[in-house]
Amino acid sequence: MDTVSHVKNSRRRIATTLAGVAGTIALAGCAQNAPQDIWKPAGDNAQKINALDKIVFPIAGIVGVLVTALAIYIFIKFRDKGQAIPAQSHGKPIVEIILTIVPALILTVVGVFTFRTIMDLAETEDTEMIINVTGQQWWWEYDYPVQTDQGISQPIITSGQLVFPVGTNVLLRETSRDVIHSFWIPALNGKKDAVPGRIHLLRLQADKPGIYAGQCTEFCGLSHANMRMEAIALSKEDFAKWVAGQQKAYTSPAEGTVAKEGETVFINQCSRCHQVNGIKDANGKAIISAPDENVYSGAAPNLSHLMSRNTFAGAMFDLVNQKCRDDVWNAKSEEFGARYLAGVTSDCLNEKNLRAWLRNAPAMKPMYADPAKLEKTNGLYRGMPNLGLTEDDIDKLVAYLSTLK
Amino acid sequence: MAIIERPEVATPAVVTPQQTLGAVKRPVDTKGWREWLFTVDHKKIGIMYGVVAMVFFIIGGVEALLIRLQLAMPDGRILSADQYNQMFTMHATTMVFLFAMPMAGAFANYFLPLQIGARDVAFPRINALSLWLLVVGGLVLNASWFLGGAADGGWFMYAPNSGPIFSPSHGVDFWVLGLQIAGVASLLGSINLIVTVLNMRAPGMSLMKMPVFTWMILVVQFLLVFSLPVITVALVLLMLQRSYGATFFDVSQGADPLLWQHLFWIFGHPEVYVLILPSFGIISEVLPTFARKPLFGYPFVVFSGASIGLVGFGVWAHHMFASGLGPVSVAVFSVATMAIAIPTGVKIFNWLLTMWGGKLWYTTAMKFAIGLVVLFTVGGLSGVTHSIAPSDTQQTDTYYIVAHFHYVLFGGMVFGLFSGFYYWWPKVFGKMLNEKLGSWNFWLMVIGMNMTFGPMHILGLQGQPRRMYVWTEARAGEGFFNLGFWNLVASIGSFILAVGVLFFLINVVVTARKKEQAPLDPWDARTLEWLTTSPPKAHNFDRIPVVHHLDEFFHRKYEEDTATHTMKKVAEGDALVRAEEDAADAHIHLPSPSYWPILLSVGVGVLGLGIIYGIPMMVIGFAITLFSAYGWVLEPSVAEEIDFEPSENGGNTKEIAPLG
Amino acid sequence: MFTPGSKYFLGLTGLALVSAVLYCFLVNPSDLGAYALFGLFLNAAVITGFSFFTRDGDAETVAQAVEANTDAPAPSFWPIVFALGGALTLLGIATNEIVFVIGLAVLVGGGVEWTIQDWAERASSDSEFNQFVRHRAVGALDYPGLAAVALGVIAFLFSRVMLTVSKDQATIIFMVAATCVLVAGVLIGTKPALRGKATTLIVVVGVLVLAVAGVVSGINGERHELAVVAEEKPYAASHRECGEEASEHYDHHANNTVSLRSAVTATVFVRDGKVVAQLVGMPKDVDTITIPRSNATSILFRNLDKEDRRLVANLGEAKVGTTDVMEKVGTCTQLTGENQEQVLTVKIPKPSNPESPYTLTVPGVEGEIKVVVP
Repeated sequence: MDTVSHVKNSRRRIATTLAGVAGTIALAGCAQNAPQDIWKPAGDNAQKINALDKIVFPIAGIVGVLVTALAIYIFIKFRDKGQAIPAQSHGKPIVEIILTIVPALILTVVGVFTFRTIMDLAETEDTEMIINVTGQQWWWEYDYPVQTDQGISQPIITSGQLVFPVGTNVLLRETSRDVIHSFWIPALNGKKDAVPGRIHLLRLQADKPGIYAGQCTEFCGLSHANMRMEAIALSKEDFAKWVAGQQKAYTSPAEGTVAKEGETVFINQCSRCHQVNGIKDANGKAIISAPDENVYSGAAPNLSHLMSRNTFAGAMFDLVNQKCRDDVWNAKSEEFGARYLAGVTSDCLNEKNLRAWLRNAPAMKPMYADPAKLEKTNGLYRGMPNLGLTEDDIDKLVAYLSTLK
Repeated sequence: MAIIERPEVATPAVVTPQQTLGAVKRPVDTKGWREWLFTVDHKKIGIMYGVVAMVFFIIGGVEALLIRLQLAMPDGRILSADQYNQMFTMHATTMVFLFAMPMAGAFANYFLPLQIGARDVAFPRINALSLWLLVVGGLVLNASWFLGGAADGGWFMYAPNSGPIFSPSHGVDFWVLGLQIAGVASLLGSINLIVTVLNMRAPGMSLMKMPVFTWMILVVQFLLVFSLPVITVALVLLMLQRSYGATFFDVSQGADPLLWQHLFWIFGHPEVYVLILPSFGIISEVLPTFARKPLFGYPFVVFSGASIGLVGFGVWAHHMFASGLGPVSVAVFSVATMAIAIPTGVKIFNWLLTMWGGKLWYTTAMKFAIGLVVLFTVGGLSGVTHSIAPSDTQQTDTYYIVAHFHYVLFGGMVFGLFSGFYYWWPKVFGKMLNEKLGSWNFWLMVIGMNMTFGPMHILGLQGQPRRMYVWTEARAGEGFFNLGFWNLVASIGSFILAVGVLFFLINVVVTARKKEQAPLDPWDARTLEWLTTSPPKAHNFDRIPVVHHLDEFFHRKYEEDTATHTMKKVAEGDALVRAEEDAADAHIHLPSPSYWPILLSVGVGVLGLGIIYGIPMMVIGFAITLFSAYGWVLEPSVAEEIDFEPSENGGNTKEIAPLG
Repeated sequence: MFTPGSKYFLGLTGLALVSAVLYCFLVNPSDLGAYALFGLFLNAAVITGFSFFTRDGDAETVAQAVEANTDAPAPSFWPIVFALGGALTLLGIATNEIVFVIGLAVLVGGGVEWTIQDWAERASSDSEFNQFVRHRAVGALDYPGLAAVALGVIAFLFSRVMLTVSKDQATIIFMVAATCVLVAGVLIGTKPALRGKATTLIVVVGVLVLAVAGVVSGINGERHELAVVAEEKPYAASHRECGEEASEHYDHHANNTVSLRSAVTATVFVRDGKVVAQLVGMPKDVDTITIPRSNATSILFRNLDKEDRRLVANLGEAKVGTTDVMEKVGTCTQLTGENQEQVLTVKIPKPSNPESPYTLTVPGVEGEIKVVVP
């Protein structure tokens, strides 16, 4: 009686559990608006992986259901009903052999498909464009080597958002300046680690313009959770516009404006680490930043065209306010390019985040930026320290930064 | 058993030394706490392993609850980034090295000699040393919480993030030292158990008549012997880098960080089987007992276990599919990983077929065993999905992986261990755990476990990566599969799970207070450990049994009715035990307690801390280690007559001679 | 109940502790004197511990043992070893460090053996038992110690052989040696009859072969290129001469093989008398390559020309020390033969200037590859 009710319980419980697990896995692909959903491929490479998933997950599901059904049948059928203790049979080898061969055959089939996909995804012959991706604690740097056939006549360097043309086979060449990071845009391809001292290749290709979210997936220390990325696919024409924007020469703010004062603050405080291409000091001499003297990784984001990006600080914070962000993220693919290329206009600028960051960066994002605790790195920071700027300086800087279109 | 025997004294005329070889008077015949600290009895050591592992299970569990609290809501504020990183590092480290391995060690220590009809393990003092080194290693690891912060690089401790620059606190140093000490403990333990199994089986017990639990433990010990040296090398390299300025993993000096990953996973993958195989062994005892049928395809289960162990050494790089190995290596390791699913599947089917045609008795032990079969299948199938390397590059380092290995390790390993608790509790403590509380324990754990780890499949497929101290609303999505809801469900589930475990602890307390003794053969069991009293006497068996069958004990109780092909009971279990008692051997001699294992362990611990705190501490540690090593060397394993206090009525209190 | 020895050390321990504490309070806690006194305390405490916890601490046992021990002390050669150690140590101080170390080892070893022999002889009146005690106590030191020495000697001799023979020979020798060890091991393991004399024979032959080969190799010295490396540090930047002609200092025995392909960012070829480059991942000739700032980057140089060529990186100019004199900065590979390759690793902390970019050139070949550091 007691046993029977237990059996019933276990049957019901196990059945619902398994149905639940199998069902949720099967349905997870249909979810709305989950930006890192791995079952919503938006490009050729992710599509290939997804095609494999479409073979493997159903097989796993069916096997799971069959095994569970068999288990439940056994639990009920052979419960103790007072029958005699059965003969002590030690098994039948033929059953064992069948049970070995059947899964082996299934796996062989799956293995053949897997093998082909692995080789396909490692292919680099069809590359049309190269982007160098360099990880460091806790942001990504993207630099575009000169590629005249893609309209890139001057090298472009940016961070936070990876911009690339649709329908183009882009090859990322990943490396790292400090620890291992991993580059992952689920909608476009699987992960590939960025390992210091090595260069790893990752194919990217997007079918439609849009914004694709990603996240560093190799544990890389304190702010691992805050090391995000966004891949921006633009139509070929829009991409050409973006390239032109990035190659635009620097224009210093007009004399007498707050922004001009901000430029002075920037030169004194920020250009130690952050490069703005073309910025000149009072004597007209080009200023070259020296992050290698201040930061352990030897790099800090290049801010030349900061306002063309929607995020800052390793894509952790939005540079645009919620409304403008939603406009970009929810834009239809034909409108997306225009929305994105509008950049951070003055009504879109999210000053709150930017000011808080300038006021005290380590309070916003965990970093190794306490000057008293840098003996292991010989005084070099890992992250951006608190610069102790006055509110007045911050006003000027914000005014200046918003001119960096 | 004596390892080295003192030669017979030549002539009666000489004066016998008053103390054994000049060492301290040995702790023979001790009572109270000293009976435990200095014991070399495999059963007491086994119980202490269990207690230690349970304490660390609770510590690791609290760490897990803190993690789930932090992640219940977006932008959690319970823990800082630094604390969170320490928490998940120590949760994994504690659960793997300080709970799972010692708990398997507890079962192995206690039941392996009993199952093969031996009186103790081959090297009793080394057995005690293993235990105490493990305790010291665990203390060193956890001491870091109070001494500047625990390790924060993840249990995989990937270089270069574990280097002195990227992890400036002493946490990783404690981690490296604690694991090295615990590693020595495991290595000693595994050699000990291998020798025990190969040399000390009861007469008639050929390898293919050994219980499956013993078989699985044997496979595990071989895995340990071959994999631990690799991680030890890696740990030594990391220690040299952190404490003495070496540059094995320093990229600026030309190192390749992937070296660490290869070293770690060549150990780390076999380690996965080290964790799961003991539980497979346990349920391979429990299922036949409660199905009243022998294990279906015993040789297949044994050989699939062995082949899992063997192939397990050839699949380590499937943890590195995203690390940038070439496509050919990825393809090879992908296929090898699929291959390992085959023997695992064989095991599942064999367990199901064991129950087929049986007479199933649903005790709590049986429920946990069934729970393992079902939940492990779920984990195994999700495992197959990431043996497909391209799919794995999407899944790895997301919560989908967390879901997978918790189904395998919690649904698999932990359920197996709990099955073992309920099955063998009457054997160890002579009292039955309460079945009603056991039922609560089981169902709460099943519900909690599925609520915690089930939603993680969704979280992972929705792209939530692991090891993030916060998740953000901006990437959570909406609708049925939004991260917010399922993270909350997982967190609630983790507390239900914790309540389930609490029911076990309550059950233990309730049982301990109960007067009623368990019957000698409560489950109508099958193997030799039940052919003695509960709890067993210090010398295990009054008479070393002679084995004729697999499942010897069962076949002493039952005979086949040739007409109906059913089994007929011919003897009662407790009558058989009493019969053994009546035919007891005279002159049973046991290894004697010793101070040295525990003292030596303390010395090694101090020596290790010296690497962090400087040479003076190392000198002290070395002195203690050397001193206790000498004490050990000068002390025969079996006490001399003179070691015992003279008994009041003049005669010897014990008869002393080496055990055979 | 205590022996005089343990009483003495107990006293010494106490005295050292008291003086150390007093010294700390009265003189200076971080002084060398304090360390010395604490060191003395620690040492004395350890010795006290040993004598107290071992039988030596118990006066009665010793008295009984001595009383019963009617045998004369066994002959011992440890005193003479000890004396030899002393002499060697002194000689070593005067002459050679190695002699000093050996002398010290002999001195300590002989002393320990002597002490233990003496101690064991007083263990009981049963000389067989005393023998056994001595073996136990000494064995715990002897076997690990001798094993360590033997392993060290084997490793040293073997390394001499490997450093002398050429790289190809070294591979063969290693395989042969490993096979011999395996075969011997299998034979000993599977044929119990072989144990004993045959095993000894194998070991002796092995040791002899190794010893002779090691000594001969040691006298021969290291193979040529290693000797050159040791002498000249050819890989030091100061030795690099990046001209078209072979450099006397730099171009010794370039190995022309590359193993770190995973780290290469671009390949530079000399093909049909021209310098061309290809980025890894895109098989297309380019004339500009981009290198991330502050990141060690490797460039593969593959020479398809008949002549020996080298790749030179011209990395701008820098001031010499604190003067205003400008000096060219750069680095280069060694000369590389036809169809062979070498790697050049550069780490550039400063961005390049569009007016005067960094370049990669091959002396004697036209064309250059621009290096852009954004």
